[in-house]
Amino acid sequence: MEPSNKKRKRVQNDAEYISRKDEKKRIKLLESQISESRKHYNNIPEITSLAKEGHPETAKLAMESLCGVFSRLMSDGSMTSQKGVPREEQLIVEWLRKQYDEYIRLLLSRLRKTDETILLNFTMHLIRQEASASKTDDVWTSTSRPFFNLVRELLVSEIDAVREAFMKKYIEKYDNVRYYTFGSISSLLTGQSSMDIEEQAVSNCLKILSSAEGPPATKDDLEFFGDAPTDKKDKLYSSAAHRRRAQDVWLALLRVGLNKTQRKAILRIMTERIVPQFNKPELLMDFLTDSYNVEGETALLALSGLFYLIREKNLDYPSFYPKLYQLLDTGLLHSKQRSRFFRLLETFLSSTHLPAALVASFIKRLARLALHGPPAGIVVVIPYIYNMLKEHPTCTFMIHREVRHSDDRKELEEEGMEDPFDMDEEDPMNTWAIDSSLWELEALQSHYHPNVATLAKIISEQFTKQAYNIEDFLDHSYNGLIEGELTRNVKKTPVVEYQIPENVFEGQIGLLLPKALEIS
Amino acid sequence: MPPSQLKRLKASLREQGITGPPPSNKQKKKNKSRPDQRVHRQAALENIRESFNPFEIKSSARPRKFDYTTNRKERPENARPGVTKSRGEELRRKSLLPEMKNRHRVGGIVDRRIGENDPTMTPEQKMLERFSREKLRKGASLFDLEEADEEELLTHMGQSIDVAGKHRPVRDDYDEMDDEAAGSDEGGFRRQKRKRDASEEAGDGEEEIREEVPERKKTKAEVMQEVIAKSKMYKYERQQAKEEDDDMRDELNKDWRDLMPLLKGIKGPPPKEPEPEQNESADPSMNPQRAAMIAGTDSRTNVEKEAAEIARLAAEKEYDQRMKQMLADQRAQPSGRTKTEEEEAKERADLLKELEEQRQRRMRGEEEPEDDDQVNPDLEEDDEDDEDGDAAGFGLKATRSRPLGIDDEDDFLLENDLIASGSDFGDEDSDPELSGDENSHDSEDKEANERMKRDAQPDSTLEGADPSSVSGLPFTYDCPRTHEAFLALLKKVDIADHPKVVQRIRASNPANVHPDNKQKLSDFSEILVEHIHHLGSIQPPPPIAVTNFVIRSVHSLARTYPDVISAAFRRCLSSMHEANDIKNGDLLILTAIGSIYPTSDHFHQVVTPATTIMARWLGLTIPHADHQLTTGAYLVALCIKYQQLSKRYVPEALRFTLVALSMKPVPSKAIIDAHVTNLLSMADLWSTLPAFPEIFSPHALTALTKLSRKRAITHLNILLSSARLSRRPLTLHNHRPLPIRTALPKWEENFNPDKHYDPDRERAESARLKKEYKRERKGAVRELRKDASFMARENLREKRERDKAYEERQRKLIAEIQGEEGHEGKEYEKERRKRRMG
Repeated sequence: MEPSNKKRKRVQNDAEYISRKDEKKRIKLLESQISESRKHYNNIPEITSLAKEGHPETAKLAMESLCGVFSRLMSDGSMTSQKGVPREEQLIVEWLRKQYDEYIRLLLSRLRKTDETILLNFTMHLIRQEASASKTDDVWTSTSRPFFNLVRELLVSEIDAVREAFMKKYIEKYDNVRYYTFGSISSLLTGQSSMDIEEQAVSNCLKILSSAEGPPATKDDLEFFGDAPTDKKDKLYSSAAHRRRAQDVWLALLRVGLNKTQRKAILRIMTERIVPQFNKPELLMDFLTDSYNVEGETALLALSGLFYLIREKNLDYPSFYPKLYQLLDTGLLHSKQRSRFFRLLETFLSSTHLPAALVASFIKRLARLALHGPPAGIVVVIPYIYNMLKEHPTCTFMIHREVRHSDDRKELEEEGMEDPFDMDEEDPMNTWAIDSSLWELEALQSHYHPNVATLAKIISEQFTKQAYNIEDFLDHSYNGLIEGELTRNVKKTPVVEYQIPENVFEGQIGLLLPKALEIS
Repeated sequence: MPPSQLKRLKASLREQGITGPPPSNKQKKKNKSRPDQRVHRQAALENIRESFNPFEIKSSARPRKFDYTTNRKERPENARPGVTKSRGEELRRKSLLPEMKNRHRVGGIVDRRIGENDPTMTPEQKMLERFSREKLRKGASLFDLEEADEEELLTHMGQSIDVAGKHRPVRDDYDEMDDEAAGSDEGGFRRQKRKRDASEEAGDGEEEIREEVPERKKTKAEVMQEVIAKSKMYKYERQQAKEEDDDMRDELNKDWRDLMPLLKGIKGPPPKEPEPEQNESADPSMNPQRAAMIAGTDSRTNVEKEAAEIARLAAEKEYDQRMKQMLADQRAQPSGRTKTEEEEAKERADLLKELEEQRQRRMRGEEEPEDDDQVNPDLEEDDEDDEDGDAAGFGLKATRSRPLGIDDEDDFLLENDLIASGSDFGDEDSDPELSGDENSHDSEDKEANERMKRDAQPDSTLEGADPSSVSGLPFTYDCPRTHEAFLALLKKVDIADHPKVVQRIRASNPANVHPDNKQKLSDFSEILVEHIHHLGSIQPPPPIAVTNFVIRSVHSLARTYPDVISAAFRRCLSSMHEANDIKNGDLLILTAIGSIYPTSDHFHQVVTPATTIMARWLGLTIPHADHQLTTGAYLVALCIKYQQLSKRYVPEALRFTLVALSMKPVPSKAIIDAHVTNLLSMADLWSTLPAFPEIFSPHALTALTKLSRKRAITHLNILLSSARLSRRPLTLHNHRPLPIRTALPKWEENFNPDKHYDPDRERAESARLKKEYKRERKGAVRELRKDASFMARENLREKRERDKAYEERQRKLIAEIQGEEGHEGKEYEKERRKRRMG
């Protein structure tokens, strides 16, 4: 039973194979007929229907042949309507255009579903043919033309492969493609349809934009898809125009309304990729200040962009330091942005003109955070505080304060003291940190990890070193510490405790052990 | 400014008495007595003339540089280059020229006899010199017994000229004469002849003989007999003396036996025979090897020689062995007095105190004291030197190794209760014994082993089937080499009996019985570490007593095999680190680490990573299930236990506890209770930390308030307020102010520019050597250059001479030929004229 079944299947397969072979032959035949004479134009709808309904392989072949047909037609001018030609001719042209549009529609609808990048190549090939045939850049900009539709398809499609191929093969390579893509995207984002812009489109748009780079430095390096514009004063030759397009599209994207992760992704590449593409980075101000006002990591990320604006564009941001101070929260030392933040913080607080009270607040707050932080965080904070104390000597009262007045001393003896520092105060000028002492750092000198404890000792030793290089301390982690200890060779015999205890599980651990072992 | 030339000339003339006032009569008279006055005057004039010739003297064109700042050795003011040059030339002519002339010479005879080329020596002097030189060459050291053989003595006309007989260095081969008598005829003859000649000519000893019979010239036979008799007498005397010596030595040896115990000071078993007396025959005063060698060389017949050779070889071997033995021998040492109980207690207390001090030192992370022989300081240095960043200095990149305390394993006993025959499980809970007495250690061990063997005897035949043993376990086990094997061994055994198995494996493979056992036990200790991990993963969990026992066994093994066990623990830690999670088995491993190793150390190869791994778990885990909360509570408790002595701060433990306490929904009461207990013990532990209020104040208090734990809150509040009372502003920088860097130059009293003031001795030395080398090199180059120019000049001169001689010869020949030709021409002319005329 089974073998016969198999056999039958094979027979069927063979039959299919043969029929497909025939179809292929037919397509070839039809295509060659079209190129032979106009009377065979009716073959076009035939191939189109094959492309629509045929077996995937046949359809592909059909698509390819159609692409060839149309490109040939376009290059010999059969698809452009000239003035003063007979009515019949014009009808033919119109009919051809209709066929062409249908073909393009078919291509795009396929692109939306499959990840066959070859289809993208067909589309782009035809677009190039069209563009070289026409004198204006209508082909690129008009909303009804294939390119615009292609961009729209790419934005909404969920298939990454095609979009990535487009980015890699066209946007990154050809400056004019990028230019027109940006244009299309911004008109898409700002158009009437902006209401119903989906999440997918925004993230796709972000993907395209974040991978795109600015125009090359010189005009000679510009690359064009298709023919380069003949006019040397064409806008495509001006890098300002390119940048303007990028700026527009970015602004359009920012206006659309982003979710948190997208915002963070944008902020992360802000200074490296986005700002250089802008003619007027000031336009980013609103976005950055908004982000800065958001709590947590977003604000941390916005810092660098904001700093860029403050430094380069004279942005006046009065509550910059209070906001910065508020960024020092419990999550900071655990956060992934820790090294990034400390690099910036080093720059922000390096000015010697800052009031001592403010610097002291930062120092004290960092010390507090370090008290509950992981070793990797502590290891950054301590040398940082050292540098700060070295740079702002007025703050050294925080590590050495002698009570001179006898009454005060007496009071201190009798009542002890509380920490005058107010952790909940938001304004760094009013925290009384300057009157406090850094007991936290002294406590960290008895940290369980020997390296951290040793590092914490630098605070109580003489400040002979000019400054520690913070960069060396930034990228540590638990794993690094453990690996550092475990991979090191044991050169010396480890010491063994000299007394063998009667009961290893004494006290609390003895009580907890059975419970801990029971549950697996 | 020096005086003018003229003035100086006048002055020097006057000085020499050539000009100036005419000499007084007295002087004249005195001068008359000197006949060479005229010569003297001539010489003085010549001298003056020379010294005033400005072309003969070179003086520096301008004043010397740095005249006032240096006090370098003055160059001679008036150098005389002409004189030096001619002296050099002369020297070269003497040394270089002959060399040059002999350059391409091959062969020839060089007379190197002493004094042959020295006309100043008289023939007697020459002979004397030669003789003494010969003597020096021959005369080996006084103690060179091998070389001072008769054959090599100085001879004259084939006969010895050395003083004969008794003045020869004392030789031990007393059978010299026998040798002579029985030796080959030739040798005997030569010897006899020599003897007679010696007696005739110079020998002091023979003088007497000659005196006895002064007149008559002895016959050869007579002389021979005399000589033989005499040497026999000598031989006899020597033998006599030797026997006496031997007797005395024997006596001494006997006494020595009696003396030995006295010297040793203890009864002890009678010492073994120090040496088998097989070298008796040889002279005990000399070393046996040498005696054997002499015996071998002196035997006469071939057979005997061979035998002696063999004996000699044997003796040599024996000697070597003995030598090695003696080197390895330990001297008898006085053993310690038996200690009283108080002393023992005191010693123990001292030991404990010292160990505690060491622990404290390690806790503070201090270096070991220098005199400790187990410290290797190079470890600390090589890591610290290469500082590739600021962080590296704190061990954050290249983590530095820290000093470690020592733990002398010999100071401890393997717990005897662990080794002793396993009859009672509860027995091993007694205090670990601590003892410093090695002897008792050994003997007890041995006893224990013997007992073990005795006990094991009946059981070893049937495994686990003996009804007489209580638990049905065999008494001896082969040491399992892998953990799988060990598990297979344990499979049949009830879990409560596992400790007994472990105990018996350890007892039946004591390290001091078989050399392999050491390796076996070290493997077994690794297996036990694995087993600790394994115990954690068994469900249902084994009784705590079993785990406890295994951990304690590992602990006691860790004293003997610290490296192996620590490596095993570190492997466990690595797998824990890679898994990034802490399982039940890991909990047990961490507990074991906490009990086996000193957790208070500032840095410890096993404890530090263990703590860090725990802290990572506590710091990164967000608990959302009961088992995580329980594991966390256990880990926090373990952290607290780790830090019990050193009271170090573990922020992650507090963080986890607070997260657990503020969880919603509130977990079960038992878990909360455990965490609250942890929190309070942490508070107690860290109450002395300077930032105690900041650590506990806002979060811990609020968490407790939310849970409304009244007692805990009051406890914490008390601690907080006491911390507040003892709080003072920080005064961390009571350092002595750094001295201001001085910019004054270092002033040297009595500065000497020739001296090197370089504080770096090596550099100064190398500078000196460099300078010397440069000077020498320059000198050598200059000399070579001068040599070369001299040689060139000489060559040129020679060539010229040769050319001149050639030309001379040529000219002579030509003249001769011309003369002949002229003569012949004249003859021809004459003849022709004659003919014409005729």
